[in-house]
Amino acid sequence: MTDGTQTVHRSLLGGDPRIGALGPGLTLAIALHLAVVAAAFFLPRLFDRPQPLRKPVIAHLVALGKPRDPRLLPRKESAAPAAAAPASVPEKAGAPSKTSAPTRQLTRQELMDRALAGAARRTRDEKPDPERAGEETGSAQGTAASAEEGEKYFGAVEDAIHANYVVPSVISERERMYLSATVVIYIARDGAIVKHVMTRPSGNSFIDQALVLALQRTHLPPPPPELAKLVREGVEINFKP
Amino acid sequence: MKRLLLCALAASAAARAQRPTIDISNARVQAYPIALAPPSGAPEGREVMEVLAADFDRSGLFRLLDPSGFLADPAKEGTTAQSIDFSKWTAIGAQALVKASASLQGDTIRVDFHLFDVPRATELLHGEYSAPRASLRQIAHRFGDDVVRSFTQEPGVFQTRIAYVRETENGKQIVVADSDGFSPQQVTSNSINLLPAWMPGGRGLAFTSFRDGGGAHIYQVDLAGRSVQPLVRMGDFATGAVFSPDGIRYAYSASQAENTDVWLSPIEGGIVRRLTDSRGIDISASWSPDGKRIAFVSDRAGSPQIYTMSVDGNDVRRITFQGNYNQEPAWSPKGDLIAFSGRDEHRVFDLYVINVQTGKVTRLTQNAGTNEKPSWAPNGRVLVFSSTRSGKKQLWTILPDGSNARQLTNESRGGSDPAWGPLPQK
Repeated sequence: MTDGTQTVHRSLLGGDPRIGALGPGLTLAIALHLAVVAAAFFLPRLFDRPQPLRKPVIAHLVALGKPRDPRLLPRKESAAPAAAAPASVPEKAGAPSKTSAPTRQLTRQELMDRALAGAARRTRDEKPDPERAGEETGSAQGTAASAEEGEKYFGAVEDAIHANYVVPSVISERERMYLSATVVIYIARDGAIVKHVMTRPSGNSFIDQALVLALQRTHLPPPPPELAKLVREGVEINFKP
Repeated sequence: MKRLLLCALAASAAARAQRPTIDISNARVQAYPIALAPPSGAPEGREVMEVLAADFDRSGLFRLLDPSGFLADPAKEGTTAQSIDFSKWTAIGAQALVKASASLQGDTIRVDFHLFDVPRATELLHGEYSAPRASLRQIAHRFGDDVVRSFTQEPGVFQTRIAYVRETENGKQIVVADSDGFSPQQVTSNSINLLPAWMPGGRGLAFTSFRDGGGAHIYQVDLAGRSVQPLVRMGDFATGAVFSPDGIRYAYSASQAENTDVWLSPIEGGIVRRLTDSRGIDISASWSPDGKRIAFVSDRAGSPQIYTMSVDGNDVRRITFQGNYNQEPAWSPKGDLIAFSGRDEHRVFDLYVINVQTGKVTRLTQNAGTNEKPSWAPNGRVLVFSSTRSGKKQLWTILPDGSNARQLTNESRGGSDPAWGPLPQK
């Protein structure tokens, strides 16, 4: 054993001193790792697809909080957006304004009413049950179905006119508190107010003028067929302060 | 034939009887759109029109239309109804139109004013107003009041005056200015003077002053002669005099034996009467317009709150229950509202009004500095108060619904404690 032959132990993990300290196994392991990293980097680019668009989710966090302590002084309600001043916007003289009722958030009750009204419209097309709807020669007081329609329609008329019921601030408070007037309006099938007659003026020209203006600016919905004849013959509007 | 007519009438009556009826109430109130046409003639006319425009704007009664939107050429139009093309004014939404022509003769300026009802194309008011050049603003105030009366049948307040306290190097001094804050005249010159209150007819002011040492007492100043006289020297201190609407007595607060109460004195002198007798502090009296009740502040329930009592001191009613520091009540000339300042949970004073009948409290100011000492215009349509919203305390006006806040004064060291004076005596 000591024949002068030098025994050299080589480990698989050991490196050939001529090629450095790394053995082929370690080199292979490093190469494999590099391959994995390279694959992770380059493969998505090979299959380059546009990333799905992700819209940002914008959330408005609303703290409902506790109801305000009634013992505290009240806060001001948030100011409504100021109405656009028509100062520099000429209107067509004599033509009724196209101003419509201001839009507002519907209440739960109103949404429910609308749903019910829609259901009522759908059922209206059905052949009416004579016992329920009554006959043409029936009571002048109407039937349950037409009364419901009438209530809804006249409610809509009231809302539409009220949206334009504006009196000028120059009227004294006393007059504003006590003056009233009556106007009869005649409504066409398309909802247009074809005529109005002031049957009981307020006695104050500013208020009477404001009422006429309110009616000119009002656009009513078409009446239900069963009410068309009735409203064509006149609806009495009592304006109160 | 007669029978036929009766049948027709009966049928018509039956149709009317069956006519559906709708009641509509709660009208919205909107400022009246008015156009002030550029005046013709002397250049002073333009100055008068600017004063008039500011008056109308502050009043909240009118919405001034923007002259850049005018369709009519005022230079070509005349000042008579026949010479005006009203359709051009109707087209821009004008309901009323003011036209004027001015002339200067020596030191006198003369303005010929016309007020027109645009929808009816008729003249509502026409007047010639003249004044010395230095009193040019008074022409605008006078015509403005006439316009207000023409529309509302109520007096305008543009010719009224406002008293307030000015901060000076020499302490706090009482000042009287026009209702638009112009022409301020200082009526005291030394010491600390507070809480001016107008005497009947606007001939003088009562105020609280430390001028003679020995604590605060109440003095009066005659505005014509500027002479200051003691009015109430009583107890440890006396403060906050306010005169009854009929002008024959005045209420104030005085402290005796460490108890501050509201007292009542005849203006001509005589028996002084104590109206409150609580162990708390009772101050800041304010008369109801009918002179039958007095609002005041008392801490008898633990915190300053607004109370009312009959003028004999009976029937005491607490009216504010929200907030823990309510003060400075001011009963409106219409009697329905009491304005006051209250400290909210942010420890800032703001203005409120309470409906005397319903007790409903409405907030007028919020998130705009500290707002105190409300005082009503004699027509009850506007309030003046002091506010720090623009820096130092200044006088501002506001409408009773909390809208249309406008700055009146620009005092270098500040102004506070406003008291709106009565209507000018004719």
